[in-house]
Amino acid sequence: MNKKRDDESVNLGLLSRRTALQLAAAGASSLAANMSVVDVLGGEAMADQVRRSGKRVILLWLAGGASQLETWDPKPGRATGGPFAKIRTNLPGVEISELMPKMSTRLGETAIIRSLNTKIADHGTAYELMDTGRVAEPSLKFPHLGALIARELGWLDSQVPDYVTMYTSTEGRREGSAGFLGGRYNPMFLTDSMIPPDIRRLESISDVDHHERSELRRRISDSFTKRFDHPVFDGHNAAYDRVRGLMSSDHLFNIDLEPQSVRDLYGPTQFGQQCLIARRLAEAGVPFVKVARAWWDSHGQNFETHQELCADLDHCMSALLDDLKSRGMLEDTLVITLGEFGRTPKINGSLGRDHFASAWSCTLSGCGIRGGTVYGKTDDDGQTVVDGEMNAGDLFATIFAALGIDPAKEYMVGSRPVPIADFDSTPCREVLA
Amino acid sequence: MDPSQLRQIAQRKCQDILFCVELSDDNSEAWVGSSDANVYCVDLTSESMARVPMGGDGHASYVTGVCRYGNVMITSGYDKHLVWWDTDSRESVRKIVAHNKWIRSVAFTPDGSRIISIADDMRVRVWEASTADLIGDVSDHAVMTQQNYPSMLYALDVSPDGELFATADRVGHIAVWETESLKKIQQFDAPKMYTWDPKQRRHSTGGIRSLAFSPDGKRLAAGGIGHVGNIDHLGGPSRIEIFDLESGSQVLEIEDNKKQGLVEQIAWQKDGEWILAVGGANNGFLSVFHAGDGKLIHQVDHPGHVHAMWHDEDFLNLHIAAHENMTHWTMREQEV
Repeated sequence: MNKKRDDESVNLGLLSRRTALQLAAAGASSLAANMSVVDVLGGEAMADQVRRSGKRVILLWLAGGASQLETWDPKPGRATGGPFAKIRTNLPGVEISELMPKMSTRLGETAIIRSLNTKIADHGTAYELMDTGRVAEPSLKFPHLGALIARELGWLDSQVPDYVTMYTSTEGRREGSAGFLGGRYNPMFLTDSMIPPDIRRLESISDVDHHERSELRRRISDSFTKRFDHPVFDGHNAAYDRVRGLMSSDHLFNIDLEPQSVRDLYGPTQFGQQCLIARRLAEAGVPFVKVARAWWDSHGQNFETHQELCADLDHCMSALLDDLKSRGMLEDTLVITLGEFGRTPKINGSLGRDHFASAWSCTLSGCGIRGGTVYGKTDDDGQTVVDGEMNAGDLFATIFAALGIDPAKEYMVGSRPVPIADFDSTPCREVLA
Repeated sequence: MDPSQLRQIAQRKCQDILFCVELSDDNSEAWVGSSDANVYCVDLTSESMARVPMGGDGHASYVTGVCRYGNVMITSGYDKHLVWWDTDSRESVRKIVAHNKWIRSVAFTPDGSRIISIADDMRVRVWEASTADLIGDVSDHAVMTQQNYPSMLYALDVSPDGELFATADRVGHIAVWETESLKKIQQFDAPKMYTWDPKQRRHSTGGIRSLAFSPDGKRLAAGGIGHVGNIDHLGGPSRIEIFDLESGSQVLEIEDNKKQGLVEQIAWQKDGEWILAVGGANNGFLSVFHAGDGKLIHQVDHPGHVHAMWHDEDFLNLHIAAHENMTHWTMREQEV
């Protein structure tokens, strides 16, 4: 049976086992000293129920800011609309950009949100906002979405990582942070290779040897903890368990193990291959996987750029949803497409669009979502939200609600209660199943 | 005609983006293709932007190409259509779906009998101008780039004698065709025009945006952009390569960092001595280079990215279609 997660343990990212154990000890000591992170309102019984449901998230991060006008909220015929037409979808009366033809037939499990107004339009600050759901504060480092989901949906003794980020391009690359949740929830961060480095067993040690060494260490440790009961020692053992689990999970990142037909479904691009890895990880129980597709920052030649990148997004997102659906996973997997902001309706002299956070779009598909929904509305030129304005906190509250996580749940950081979704945020009931 | 005398005579401002321009025989009217999907007839006798949209069934998206023979004018658009216009009545007379993707350019053969269109479906199509019958459909341009993203077929030019035409695409591939047989008779590659960023931003910009046969038909100039460090912007050198058709080799390479951006159109001086390149990034440029050694002769800024130009044989009148304006230039020597 899986252990209830009730303490800080260790970083499961790209760390040596020694470092992981040192972090485990440090984290547990810190916890014991100041009770830095305690769930005070979300009961653990409810949390366990959520974990047992096996829900997970795949975030397709459109780094740099995709244009809402060339994806989910087209405005053809307007000066701001650009050259692309809109096309009908499988939803009556709903039209999206012609650059998304595959998704136009697959909106039955997707909610399009056209009314994000997140106000911040510089990359760094906006990235932080859309990865934490709230404006940064100098005095407290907030956890990123992946860390929160890992905390809420992951299992302490899981044999797989619980927060994986793939970000291959270098522009705009940010690792993601667990903030006040501690290093235990930092992501496994893959950049140059899609196979995690440093998790393979040394060739000089056989699997049998490795296993026997682990058993010997455990016996000694168990003997020790019988005499000295302390959270540090639980964390110490958990760290070893998870390191061994991670070492046996490298096959999850190997898409050569998939049938050719499945690999063909996702296509030859790197984004497609990473989406397939994301599905494999989700299938194995990894609660949060982020696949970053950079770089959408089309200050020049916006339309050419979106012809390239939307083709990738449309194909890979469609393949991912189809694959999840055919495996019966989509009901429990929330697929999000999101970036740090959208792009200006005004077309600049280089036929580009600049940063724009006042009226832009994202999508939520699958788990907990009322599919076939279009929420919110922008004006005829896409300059402002005229209905259903949603901020970052509201979006995060909606994401948590879709996953069965109480958006009002609070962590105590020292003596300060910090809600999992920002103060005054409200889940959008219209897009929830 | 003195290229060092190149100067602006007039500017006419607008709110839309102008992608192509054609002039009447007496230089009193211009027709421009717009981002608002209209084809406008501009009164050049007025100093301000006095224009009326052409009537009838026109385009539904950006109008990106125009050519004219007598009173028959044909425009191409991102709506995949070719539209025939009667310039006397200022009305459309025919409209056809010509391609499956954006049409980038359209050109008459010199005798006015045929038109050639190119589009992002990577097809080169030849049409009977009087009937709109399709009489040829060829391609030498890959649909996908080496990185498996959609390619684009940007540039087209017909040789002065009409015997040949050339087409060029996003990855820098150029094909030269015999107009009558539609056989490919030559090809060139200019891979530096394609700036794929495999690491930092993982997409591309660039491509060959302009082609121009020399007046004797022996050389072919191709324009685009050179290496771009940050492909979010058009912050790379404007770039021109000139190829010799007979030998099949590149004979000149020009990269200009003073005026950055895309070379959107190239025009040859009638004796083939120099070329005029226009284009830009967020703003525009006009640059004149020696066609033999590539040395810069003269260079000026343009208010707004230049998308296209029309010029007479001696460059006494040069009209430019640009971002939110059109301008009138000349190389006429100034009286002292």
